Parts: sequence; C-alpha cells; structure tokens
Amino acid sequence: MTDHEQEGYNLRLYVAGQTPKSVAAVTNLKKLCEQHLAGRYTIEVIDLMKDPALAQRDQIVAIPTLIRQLPEPLKRIIGDLSNAEKVLVGLDIEPSIAGIGTKS
Amino acid sequence: MSSVPPQVPSNDAEETIEAIHQGRVDAIVVQGPDGPRVVVLDELAEPYRILVERMSDGALTFDAAGTILFTNGRLAELTGRSREELVGRTFSSLFAGSAPLDTHNSSVEAELTSSGDRVPVAVWTTGITIGGLTATLATITDLTIHRRAEEIADAERFARSILEQATDAIVVLAPNGHIMHASWMAEEIAERPLVGRTFSEAFPLDGQMSAPQNMLSRVAPENLDKLLATKPFHGVEVRLSNAKVAKRSYLLSAGPLVNDAKQPVGSIVTLIDITDRKRAEEQQNVLVAELNHRVKNILAIVQSVASQTARRSSSLGAFTSTFSGRVKALAVAHDILTQTRWIGIGLSELLQAVLAPYRYPDEHRVVLAGPPVMVPARMVLPLSMAVHELATNASKYGSLSNPQGIVRIEWSVKDGDPHWLAMSWHEEGGPAVTVEEAEGFGTTLIRRVIEYDLKGKVDLHFAAAGIRGELCFPLRDGALSAEQVGEAIRVS
Repeated sequence: MTDHEQEGYNLRLYVAGQTPKSVAAVTNLKKLCEQHLAGRYTIEVIDLMKDPALAQRDQIVAIPTLIRQLPEPLKRIIGDLSNAEKVLVGLDIEPSIAGIGTKS
Repeated sequence: MSSVPPQVPSNDAEETIEAIHQGRVDAIVVQGPDGPRVVVLDELAEPYRILVERMSDGALTFDAAGTILFTNGRLAELTGRSREELVGRTFSSLFAGSAPLDTHNSSVEAELTSSGDRVPVAVWTTGITIGGLTATLATITDLTIHRRAEEIADAERFARSILEQATDAIVVLAPNGHIMHASWMAEEIAERPLVGRTFSEAFPLDGQMSAPQNMLSRVAPENLDKLLATKPFHGVEVRLSNAKVAKRSYLLSAGPLVNDAKQPVGSIVTLIDITDRKRAEEQQNVLVAELNHRVKNILAIVQSVASQTARRSSSLGAFTSTFSGRVKALAVAHDILTQTRWIGIGLSELLQAVLAPYRYPDEHRVVLAGPPVMVPARMVLPLSMAVHELATNASKYGSLSNPQGIVRIEWSVKDGDPHWLAMSWHEEGGPAVTVEEAEGFGTTLIRRVIEYDLKGKVDLHFAAAGIRGELCFPLRDGALSAEQVGEAIRVS
C-alpha cells in the first residue's frame, strides 16, 4: 500500500452539461475508479453550465477536465478519459496492484 | 512520474491548448463581460454545418492521399451515390477525366460521373488543416443549371433583339391584356412607352375607317384586350386612331404564347403595315382596268379607220396601202405612249417620230418650228393620226410628192384656260393642187380627230400653191414648261 491509497483519492471532474465528452468523462471516470480505487475515492462532478464561475477555482479552460485534489500534488487531465492507461498514469495509480487488490 | 508544482503549471496550459486543438474537449470556458461562460464547441460549428447541408453546391473534404473524409447531401445527389459510399473513395474517382486537385482558390471546369452520365461542373478547392492534418476543401457546382440559365438568358436576349429590331409593330400581351414587351416600331406608332398599358389603350382601333366587315372595331376595348390575349386569329385588316398612322392600314394578328408546360402565358400581337401593299393592289386594279379600256379603244379606232378607209378606197390595193399606213401611224403613236409611260411627249418629238419616214433622207423637207409644248398622253393618238394623214397626202399629191417641195409646220400656244395650241401645216413647192385631190383626201379623218377627239377646229385650204392647214385645239392639261417637256423626253 502506498501513502496515496491510504489517504484516498479526492477527484473533481468539471463537465459542461450533457455534451458527449462530458457524459463520456463521467462514465469513464466512475468505471475506472470502481476498478482501481474501490472504496478509496470521492468524485465531485461540477457542471459549469450551471455555475460557470466555479471554473475559476481550478482555472478550468477546457471541458471536461479532471482535477486530482488529493493526494497532493494537484494534477489535471483534460479530455473524456477514454484512454484508461493514460488516466492511470496521470493519477499515479498502479493498475496491476490496484486493479486486482482492491476488489476483494 | 515527475512531480508537478501546484497551481497552474506552464505545461498544463500547453496541455490545455493541445487538447483543444486535438479535439479532446467539446466545451471551453471563456471570459465574458459577466464572468466566465461555457461555450460548447459543437454549437459553434452548428450554423456552418447547416449552411453546408443547405448549400446548392456539392461540398467535401479529402486528405493528402485524396481520400474523401466528408461530403454534404448535395454532393451525394450530384454523384448519385450515398454519403457512406462517398466517404473513403478517392476524390479523383468522382470525375470522368482528370480531377482538378488543386485549383488555387479559383474555379476549374470538369466532368463529374453521375449514374453513368457526365455532369459539367465547376470545382473550387482550397487547402485547410483539420486536427493538425493537411486536407483540401472542395466545392462542386453543377453547371447544367448555369448553362441552362445562360441558354435561357441568351434566348431571352435573342428574342428581345428580334422584337426590338422588327420592322413591324409587335407586342407581347400578358393574359390580362397588358403589354409586357413592345417592338421599337410599336412604340414609334403609339409615340409613347407601351409596357404596362393595355393594347386598346396603346392602339385604339378606328371604327369608322376600318373595313365594314371588320367586327373587331365594334368590340369594346376591354373585350378586345381579352380577346387578343387569349384567342388566336390571323390577318384582320384594321385602321388605328393613333395620329401618326391615321391613314395607314394594318393587318392585325394574334397568336398564343405558351410556356414549357404548354400553358398559355399571353400572346404575341402583330400589326403589319399593309398600306403600300394595298396601294399597289389598287394601282394594279386601276392599270388592268385602264389597259382593258385602251385595248377596247384601240380596237374601236382600228375598226373605225378600217371602215372609213374602205368607204374612200377605189380598189382593194388602195385600201390595203392606206389602211396599213394608218395602222402604222397608230403603232407609232402607241410606241410613243409606251416609251413615255403614258405621261405624254413634247410636240416637236411627236412630230419627229410620226414624220420620220417623210424626212428621210432629207430632213429639211419637213421644217418644224415652235416653242416646247407638252402633248398629254390622251392627245397623242388623235394628233398622230391627223399628222399622218396630212403627211401621207403630201407624199402622194402634195409638196412631198416631188423632189423640191417642203412642208413647214409651225405652232404656238395661246394663253387662256385651257391653253390652246395653234399649229399650221404649209406645203410649198409641190405640184399644183386640184379639186379632185381634195376630194380623195383624208379630210374626214382629220376633222374627226381634231374636232371630235381633240375638241378643236381645223381649216384646210386647197390653194394651188400648196395645201394650208390650220389646226387649233385646247391643251387641257395646259402647256408645260421647257423643263417639264425635257423631263418627258428623258423618260422616253
């Protein structure tokens, strides 16, 4: 177990209503977290269509954008998160260990 | 994994730009006047997508290898293939000949294959970048429509120029009887612009001057307009009340004008000026009647000459000689009339023609002296006959029967209304005249033509020294000037 896993993942996903890439990003993120971070993550989905001002908090320009708030340091991944491998690397998650170990 | 500093690192900004560029995002946050605002990228493209789908030209994009990436619906229609069939084919495969791959922002003509046919098109291409890839955007314009439009425009111009150049008055009427087009001549007659007016307004028919059998002039104007715009009819003679052409006759015709679907869209109305033709016909009728009259006259004259000659002739030989001489004189007179086109002839010229046989070989034996006088056509025949009789007699018994004698013919015109012509015939140097000769002379014929035909007077003196004749008759058409006589002679 790493420090990250103990602390848990606090993720914030910025979307824009029901745009195709926003919908895809939400779906892909949930699936990925269930597979690799089950029980150790929280996801906050922020719809900027409803409140565009929230974009300022994390200086969001492109949507969808995923922010890893915790564990630190802050990381951002832009896109619909369809490339799972790239997302895992971006979030510093070890797929081989996390994918199997957290299921039981 | 490298550690990333908190806040917005520069490589995150680059990552953002790259993500937008690569199309990994479908919305962006922009700073508006009221704070941040979300713009969905697909929405930006939507108006253009609708425009591309609605445009009447075919549109497509193809990559550097020429593979078609996108087409609009119009290109599918043009090529007769579905969009799915088109995407993935090569751009070149759309064309019958070589494909215009790079037109440098200008249109190049080519031939598109479409369900086995060839469609003339104009192709325009320009280079673009899609997601970092070099591609080409092309539009394909169907030229059959343009060409058809050009043909129609040419035909329209052609028809218009025919209408404008036509020497007859031609107008095109709408079904409501209003003029849509008018030829130059039509506007000349009406002396105003005609488009928009009704036919009856532009060309009011002259009911009084038109032929009595012409029903058109009695039709109410509004009915006439409707009739002309809808019913075909041919060649009705009319006269117009337009001041400029008040005395001219026209042949009015109307023919329906139909569109491609054979539906009537108006009519073409022509007004052909037949004034000159009518005048020529009338003149012809007059000439035929005149000819008829003259032939009858000449036959009557010949008959009269024959019977008179027979009464006075002692033998068949004498009759034949005298009669033949008189018929010849008639022929000479007729020649004069024909040559002068029945205008008339100068007296001197007439005398020269009739007396030509008696002045040969020595023309001084017949002396002519007098002012220029025009002998009207109707007087040529009687005067010729009278002179012929005098000359024949002179050559048989008078001054022309020996080698020394002469005939002196002098004339003058006496003023009055009408002018009178006084002509004297004096024979000198001939053998002495005897009373018997006077009896055998064609006095009767001379008197008849001078007194009866010319309404004149004649005095014949059978003096021993030579015959003296004084002929006097009115010139009903008046004595003409020297110029007019000259004109008549030139005509001959």
